[in-house]
Amino acid sequence: MNAFSAHWFDGITSRMHAVTVARGDDGFVHVAGDDVDRREPLADLRISPRLGRTPRTIAFPDGARVLVADHPMLDDWFPQEDRLLRLVDRLERHAHAVAASIVLCVAALGAAAAWGIPWLSDRIAERVPASVEAKLGDGVLEQLDSRFGFGPSGLETAREADLRARFERVVAASGTDTTHRLEFRHADAVGANALALPGGTIVVTDDLVNALHDDRAFDAVIAHELGHQQHRHALRQTLRSSFVVILAAFFAGDVSAASTVVVGVPTFLLQSHYSRGFEEESDRSAFATLEATGESPAWFAEAMRALMAAHDEVAGDDVKYLSTHPSSAERIEAAEQAGAGFLERHPEKSRDVPGYDACEEEGVCEDEESPEDESESCGDDEVEPCLDEDAAPAPGE
Amino acid sequence: MHEDAIGANAAAPPPPPRAELPDYWPPPAPPQPDPVEYAFSFDGSAREYFRIWIVNLALSIVTLGIYSAWAKVRTQRYFYANTRLAGVPFEYLAKPLPILKGRIIAVTLFTAYVLAGQFSLVWQLGLLAVIALATPWLIVRGLAFRARYSSWRGLVFRFIPDYGEAYIRYLLLLLPMVLTLGILYPWVQGKQKQFVVEHHRFGGHAFRFLTTPGRFYIPYLIAWGVITGWVFVAMFGVVGMTMATVGEGTGRTPPTWIPFAMMAVLYAGYFVVFVFLSAALVNLVYNHVDIGGRRLQSRLKGRRLLAIYALNTLAVLASAGLLIPWAKIRLARYRAESTGLLARDDLEGLVAERRGEIDATAAEVDGLFDIDIGL
Repeated sequence: MNAFSAHWFDGITSRMHAVTVARGDDGFVHVAGDDVDRREPLADLRISPRLGRTPRTIAFPDGARVLVADHPMLDDWFPQEDRLLRLVDRLERHAHAVAASIVLCVAALGAAAAWGIPWLSDRIAERVPASVEAKLGDGVLEQLDSRFGFGPSGLETAREADLRARFERVVAASGTDTTHRLEFRHADAVGANALALPGGTIVVTDDLVNALHDDRAFDAVIAHELGHQQHRHALRQTLRSSFVVILAAFFAGDVSAASTVVVGVPTFLLQSHYSRGFEEESDRSAFATLEATGESPAWFAEAMRALMAAHDEVAGDDVKYLSTHPSSAERIEAAEQAGAGFLERHPEKSRDVPGYDACEEEGVCEDEESPEDESESCGDDEVEPCLDEDAAPAPGE
Repeated sequence: MHEDAIGANAAAPPPPPRAELPDYWPPPAPPQPDPVEYAFSFDGSAREYFRIWIVNLALSIVTLGIYSAWAKVRTQRYFYANTRLAGVPFEYLAKPLPILKGRIIAVTLFTAYVLAGQFSLVWQLGLLAVIALATPWLIVRGLAFRARYSSWRGLVFRFIPDYGEAYIRYLLLLLPMVLTLGILYPWVQGKQKQFVVEHHRFGGHAFRFLTTPGRFYIPYLIAWGVITGWVFVAMFGVVGMTMATVGEGTGRTPPTWIPFAMMAVLYAGYFVVFVFLSAALVNLVYNHVDIGGRRLQSRLKGRRLLAIYALNTLAVLASAGLLIPWAKIRLARYRAESTGLLARDDLEGLVAERRGEIDATAAEVDGLFDIDIGL
């Protein structure tokens, strides 16, 4: 059999003609039936590519069309038609090809999220000139002041000068060669917080200064924010967030209407994943910087605890708003370990660790040592248990 | 030739019997038979479309997005060919290259816009202005493109480009809309829909829009009213929750999940209202389209649409996107099943748009700026 029953449209009216389409040995196609009698060279006809079970269309040069159910023989009639799409059609019908496509898509999505976006944004970040970054940071600070209700600091001048001196010492120890600026702000919106803006500015809120009971914890916070600055986290995070949006648009581009939720949830998860990575990188930098200033990284754990306690007191909706410190327990643990390592290398510093009580340990009381330390003794390495019991209010108590 | 499809029918010899023909054929003396509703139907299958979709996506990734234009044509062809009116499928005729051009422009603009937003407000506003200025032109080009490459029974649709009117309705009218704080929004929406409908042609007929833009106020006012009420309900809910949790006498501060719960409740409300509103708007537009005496019918139900959207969203999220094809097929099926065409004739007497009407230069410009930005 070399003929099909089909429907003919002349391209001039919408009338549907029931016809038979046959191929002759002379290279002509013959369409006959229902007021139609056409002969046309096969070479002048075009057929639409095969696609699922959908009907196919044979187009005539004058705009007439034949609508015909798909049949394997049609591809024999038109062996030269659309090689590329014929290959695609074969892939679609092949179970292994479909399985491979699923793996490829999922892997590509994963790879783009895990490596592609970070790599691309970091390459771009390297090319952004420092001046542009500084301008960006100034813009952010202006926004914070005008739109997020950041106001002038209420710290006493002497206290502020004192902290600025500590800041300069930490900056010097961090070995950075860019200039950094410290800004104090009163900001109820974010509570006890410190922010590393693009371009080197570090903003510290009054609440943060008040929440820390020891200036060495302040040093630790500064060291952490300097870590953000050294790695240009603000800029890189901004770029990554932009690319996450673009990637999401690429993959979910055709999901209409309900797409905000569909795109929004994974976008948010991915962005917080990135910011977590940045926090850990900054923490490691902070440990090194603290060690260079001759202080124990354990002070960072102390600072984290004090901040968490401060946030628990406020317990507002700002807990995770700008702070984005999801895995605090793990980070405290890491700081404690770094502190233990620090003590091994510098046993002479065993008195300068959080929670050390000179009175209990050495019998040197009030008159000689800092009166702030009120907790009981701590063993050389066992900083942790002792802190858990008595140090500044731990989370969950 | 057929001057008027409806009048011509009565005089024409009875066409061959077809399943859709009413059983009163041949008609008795009165030349106006009762209108018959011709159904739209959709018979795409999720399994089949999944294969097409995943291979499309994989090839697009491997070719760094270039294949996506071919993928778009394939997807469109699949949905068109599975949508039938009176048993005859639609056909999508576009070629991939113009679509690729359009995509490159769209991706460039979008990337520039997102990046500019992170660096400088001025840049972003500048780009926004460029995009806004180009939008009416792009809308017209996109509509003309889609119409020219959509075909049914061997006849293509047409969209008559009218840039002046497009700039008025998609740009100029936005000014009074903003100045009146959005009160004119439904009316502007109506004007735009009217523009789209009235500039389409098929089968020798211009589409007519049988309602006025003012009618768009009804669904919008209902939606606005419900949203306002919903915000109040959510607010009272939060206050109540806060009182309940704090008032237990422990002196505790309210738990942090309350604001999040409130956001969730608010967004759920927006979602529901949005779905009902879009169903109402589609019905409003479709039910007032006249094509040479034939009328489109649309009977979308907000509740059904909501169930479909909600389940689609959950399924897509839970399957990491792999159920997107299933979701799209479900939606297409429901939309086709809810649509019909009311006509007094057998739909056989429609005629092609005469070629003389399309002047040569316009066709050439069409070819030069053949772009389709997926809207």
